[in-house]
Order: sequence, then structure tokens, then C-alpha cells
Amino acid sequence: MRVILESKVRAKPNLPIEAEAIIPRNFLKGTDLLVYEGNKERTLSELFWIFVEGTAVSPENIEVILKGDTSRIKRVGEYMDTGSIVIEGDIGMHCGNFMSGGTIEIRGNADSWLGREMRGGTILCRGNASHYCATGYRGEKKGMQGGKVEVFGSTGDFCAEYLAGGTVHIHGSAGDFPGVEMRGGELIIEGDATRPCGNMKSGSCVILGTVHDMLPTFEKTRQRVLPEWKITADVYKGDVANRGKGTLCVRS
Amino acid sequence: MTEIWVKNACVIDPLNHINGEIMDIAIRDGRIVESVSDRADVIDAQRCLTLPGGIDSHTHVSGTKVNFGRYMSPEDMRAGRTKRKGKMHVTSGYYVPTTFGNSYRYSAMGYTTLLEGAMAPLEARHTHEEFTATPHQDMMANTLFDGNWAVMDAVREKDVRKTAAVVAWTLKAARGYGIKLTNPGGTEAWGFGEDLTGIHEMVPHFAVTPAEIITTMMRANELLKLPHSVHLHCNNLGKPGNYQTTLETFDIVPDLNPDRQTLYATHVQFHAYGGGTWKNICSKAEEITSSVNSRPQIVMDMGQIMFGRTMTMTADGPMEFNLHCLHHNKWSNHDVELETGSGIIPVTYSKKSAVNCIMWAIGLELALLTKNPYQCLLETDNPNGAPFVKYPEIIGLLMSKRYRDEECATLHPETEKRTSLCALERELNWHDIAVMTRAGQAKALGIVNQGKGHLGIGAEADIAIYPIRTDSVDPAREYRKVVEGFQKTRYTIKRGRVVSRDGDIIVDGANATFWVDAMVPEDLKMENDPEFIKRFEQFYTVRMSNYPVQDVYLPRGRRIETEVFT
Repeated sequence: MRVILESKVRAKPNLPIEAEAIIPRNFLKGTDLLVYEGNKERTLSELFWIFVEGTAVSPENIEVILKGDTSRIKRVGEYMDTGSIVIEGDIGMHCGNFMSGGTIEIRGNADSWLGREMRGGTILCRGNASHYCATGYRGEKKGMQGGKVEVFGSTGDFCAEYLAGGTVHIHGSAGDFPGVEMRGGELIIEGDATRPCGNMKSGSCVILGTVHDMLPTFEKTRQRVLPEWKITADVYKGDVANRGKGTLCVRS
Repeated sequence: MTEIWVKNACVIDPLNHINGEIMDIAIRDGRIVESVSDRADVIDAQRCLTLPGGIDSHTHVSGTKVNFGRYMSPEDMRAGRTKRKGKMHVTSGYYVPTTFGNSYRYSAMGYTTLLEGAMAPLEARHTHEEFTATPHQDMMANTLFDGNWAVMDAVREKDVRKTAAVVAWTLKAARGYGIKLTNPGGTEAWGFGEDLTGIHEMVPHFAVTPAEIITTMMRANELLKLPHSVHLHCNNLGKPGNYQTTLETFDIVPDLNPDRQTLYATHVQFHAYGGGTWKNICSKAEEITSSVNSRPQIVMDMGQIMFGRTMTMTADGPMEFNLHCLHHNKWSNHDVELETGSGIIPVTYSKKSAVNCIMWAIGLELALLTKNPYQCLLETDNPNGAPFVKYPEIIGLLMSKRYRDEECATLHPETEKRTSLCALERELNWHDIAVMTRAGQAKALGIVNQGKGHLGIGAEADIAIYPIRTDSVDPAREYRKVVEGFQKTRYTIKRGRVVSRDGDIIVDGANATFWVDAMVPEDLKMENDPEFIKRFEQFYTVRMSNYPVQDVYLPRGRRIETEVFT
């Protein structure tokens, strides 16, 4: 089954829409879902043109497609566990929060907090992602715990903060402090990064571009050839300031 | 003139020797009276358990420490969210909730009076501001003196009168209620980068020992005739083998007051560990309770821990640093100029941890092994051991051997070997619980003659009516009903007004703050003491004239004046 949601022109296009209801499972019973626009409760049909093609008996076979101006729609795919969502343009904050399965594909850019506290599933972002991509909630000890986030553009600051499991793959560059407080999982940055992996406890991080302001609390152990990236990398252990046992590989 | 007539109440009022009588209670203008007119509002209690309003004699709900706990734990604000409803504000948080969250949840459990366990005098304003935002409970603040330089100077000179004068001045300046000593000497030593391990060790730079501070403060406390006794958090909290220190401390307590205890030892569970390391830690609750059983001058409270996530916060800075070294979690330490310090760190008590299970068992052992319930009060050192919303579960555990056995079966197997909890058959009765949650507290805090903790004629009309029928519920078997019953009162009446019904707050609160104005002879007034003023102006970052809390911070302050000593 395919559900196409095309956003209507709104009188106040900057008002955020809180759309945690947009997950494939919810469309099994129809399209009468409630979302908030600002502080007003709206039905989905007030904000979107809805087209449904085909039928589905289980949520795995449901594909939700968002079209039009979707850059102010927040929490799409929150607690999503199966099925797929395709966003043809940009998406607002908190897309894929707590996601545990299924796929989200964003063809434009993603705003902050993409895949926060994700537990499983896949998020593909063809454009850039903003700050706090694949991280945790403020104050919480564990961030993303499983699944995969792949960003084909660049990310903002604090990408993969408190990463505890799963894979984060950034094809472009990361901003300041990627992988800070990492506790596990894998972070790959193909571009540049600034001050990566501060207070890292465990897990591994590979940076193929240039590292700016490398933290002095990482201990260089050896050089290693990384065949999958076809480079030779310096392998650092850290963050030694807090007895961390993480691995940080930086192109030599 | 407001009048309420509570009829058909099954009253347990230990201080007036009433145990389960079906009776009526008449309330006029916030006080309990003989009779009311027939225009009074009638509340039919339907023979449900009716107790004086609950009193928590050691809790951390207001002040800088609690607030820093809130700063540190944004993730806690995801829990416990409730919407605005009638007179109720929004609340959020579980172990460090918003002030209204604290107040509403205490009220729903029938608590009407709270003692904030530790207030640094320098930060008293903040505490009093939060008191006014905790509107459904009368508040009191224990004032920290553990590292007070002027006190330690007076103690070194062995001058009890001078010590008393410093205490009186500071209590008045901070609008405090009683003397709190948290790891006396230890926190101040920590401020200089050192640590104490026993009560007979010298505090560096001050040439006094914790034992001297404790004994001098107890004498000063009785000289000032303060309503509450010295409130002590013993040295060496949370270290395996610390029961020795606790016993040594109990040994130096004289019996100075016929009406109440001379020492209130708080959260003793954290001070009753045997062994030498975390690997061989064991319970020494039997040694501690046999000491308390033979000393009527000591009252303690349990400091029970319950499993789950919570936040530890105390003026005991060094202990929090040790805890941080154990957990590697976020933490904070803080020094309060010439007075004390503090530390905050989140913890999770887990059933998989042998140490946590033993701690859990020790708290219960203390309560079950203490013969006189007036000497072991129920509390969790909220939120250090557990948030106060866990009190009903603790009541259930104390009243039912079966509940304890069922819980024990889910714990780490070492618990049975290193504690004697499973062998204890005692099950507390309704009367014991009423003592451990209100009457005992009122007596220990010295607020019985303020009309707290009992339902006699003239008492403040603070009443909690629980949906429990004591004649038909067997707490040993139906402990779930007991736990549920104590979680939510049918009615909580505070100073003659129904504030909470079935857990919902229905009025805006108007609490009072009790504080003690201790009188000293003219020649001992610290505000005229040139040496005191000189040292104050030299070392504090605030002027002495800006230091005392103005009355505007206590919109409903209630001053308790003591007799002047000679």
C-alpha cells in the first residue's frame, strides 16, 4: 500500500506541525489521524492532500510518501517500527525519534535531531542533516542504540553524541564535536571534522578527511591500513582523560 | 468561619493513645475542636483509616541542591508529566520533580508537614522561595553547621555558650529550624583537599574533631532549648565498615532532654555497613539497633533505598566524590564559603547489584529490629534512597513478611547470606506505621505543641483519610491493598481545608514556614561581637548586613521563640 501525503498551502507556513502520528502502522486503519499545528489540533486531511494506492494487511507493506513543503513537519516516524517513509523534500526536527525498524528516506535535507535515540531500522538522508544527528536526549546516558543512519551530505554539530550502538555514516563533513561521549557503535565521517570524540568511552570512529583541533587527550597507538577505505590511518585510543577505551582512526 | 465534621473515622492517633476507635472529628478554623454547629460540612469517612497528617522529618525538596539536581537531570523531566487540571499546575519529573510536583504528590499521600533536611545558611533565600512554591505542606529547614568556621572556633575553645550564640544568630539569619550536621568536619576538610575517616581525627586547619563538634553542638542545642535535637548525618556515609563510626558516635550521646531525643541520626541505613570493601560488605543492622534499643536518647530514621533510578544529593561533598569514582556518571561538587559543601550525582539502584540489595535489606532490618517505633522513623532520605512516592511500598514491606519474601526471591542471592532480613518474622501493625510516619516525627521534631502529629483538641486540623478499612484488610496477605491505599488518600485535610481528594489537588495552598528564634543573653549576641563581625567581613563574600533572610521571603513565617538561657 502506498499513502501519499502532499502538503497543502498553509496560511502560516512557518508554524510547526507535530506529526508523530505519521508512521506506516497508523495507516493500516485509515487516514483519520490527528496532528498538531502550533497549539491547534488538526486532522491530517486539513493539512495534506491524501492519496491511497492499493491495500495492505500488514504494516510492513505500507509506504508513506510525503511531498510538498515538509520542512516544518516534526517527529515524522517517531516510534516507527516497520514499513517505510519517503520524504521527497526537506524534513523538520526529530524525524525518526525512537525508531526501532523500517526505513526512512529523506531526499532533501533533515533538520536537527534526526534519528534521536534510535534503536533500529535505517535512515537515509540524501541531503545534509543539521545538528544533533543520531544522538540522545539531553542528560540521558545513552543516545542512539542501534540501526543505521546514513547522511550523504554534511551534518551540523554534535553528530552522534552519546552514540551507544548502531552505525552512523556521514559522507560529507561533520561540524564541531562529532561522536562526543560515544559509548559504542560506529561512526564514519568521510569528510572533515572538528574536535571529534571528546570524552569517548568506547566504540570506534573513522575520519577520512581532515581533523581540525584534534583533542590532546587521545593517545596515538599505531598506524593501520584500512582496506575498506583504501587508506593508512593513525589509530588513537581515548579519551584518556576519562579512562575511555574508544578507537579513533584518522587518515595519516 | 469554616467548619468540617468528619464522621465515622477509624482513628489511629498514637500521641493521644487512640488505636483504631471509630469516632468523629470536629474542625473549626483550622483547629480540632470539641464540637461544631450543624451548618458544618460533613465528610463521611466510612470507617476508613484516619491518621494525623503525615510528617516527613528528613527530605530534600527545596533549595540549591535540589535545584541543581534539576539542572543536571533534564532527562528526569521526561517522567511524571501531568497536565494542568483545575487548581493544579503542570508538573514534571520523577526523582527531582518540580516544586508543585513534590507538593501535590506528598499531599496525595496525606503528608502535610515537611522538614527540608539540609539548608546552607548562605543559600537560605533560595530554599525559602521554593518553600512558598511547595504550597500544600508546612515547611521547616534544618540549617547546616557541619563546617561552620565560627562554630568550629567556639568548639575549639570548648565554649558551649559561645557555640550556642553562633547557632542562635545563624538560625535567625537563615530562618532555620534546627541544627543539621552533615559529616561534621569532613566536608570542610574536603574543602581543603583532605578527608576524614573517623570521628576522633583532627579536622585540618581547625584543630577540632568531629566528636567534639557533635558533643558541643548537642550541649548548645539543649542550652538553647531548641524544639528539635541535633540532626546528624554521621561521618563515613556509604563506606563499607562504617558501622564502627556510627556506633562510636552513638556512644558519645548523653541523655540531656526528658521530652525528646538528644540526637536524631538520619538515614542510618547508609551508616550500617560491615565488611571492609564493596566485595565483602554486609549488614550490621543488628549492632546498630541494639545500640539504639538501649539508648532512648537516640532517634534514627531508616534511609531506605528502593530499586530504580534516583538522584543522590547531600552536603557530604567527599562522599559524593567517592560515589562518582564508582559510577563515572555526571556529578557536581560545591563549596559554600565558611559553612559547608555539597555534592549531587544520579544513581540507579539495581536488583542485580549485591551491594544495592544488601542496602535495601539493611533499611528494612533497622525498622524491624528497633523495638520502639518512635526510635526508627520511615523515610528514604528523599530522593537519595528513593523518591518519596515509594513510601507506601515500604509500608507494605514492613507490614508483610510475605511481601518481603516475594521481593527477596527476586534479589541477588548474596542478600540472604549477608543480611538477616529473611529470618525476621516481625510484621508491623497499623499503630506502628502511624508512629513511624507522623507521631514519631512530630515528637522528634518537637512540633507536638505546635499542634502537629496528633488529633487532640486544639491540634492543627491536618488529617489524612486513607481508603483502607483496617477491620477487613489483612496487611500480611493483602499488602497490595495497603500499598495502593497509602498511595492516594480519600481526603487530605490541611489546616481545616480539604486540599486533596482521591489524589487531585482542589485548592491553592497556603503553607507556613516554621522557624526558630533562639534567645541568648544580651552579652552573647553575635551581632554585637566585634571578633565575629571582623571575621565575617574578612572571609565572607557578602556583607553581614546583607546576610540575614528578609521577612519578605517568608510570607507565612511562624516564629517559635525559645526561652533565654543564663
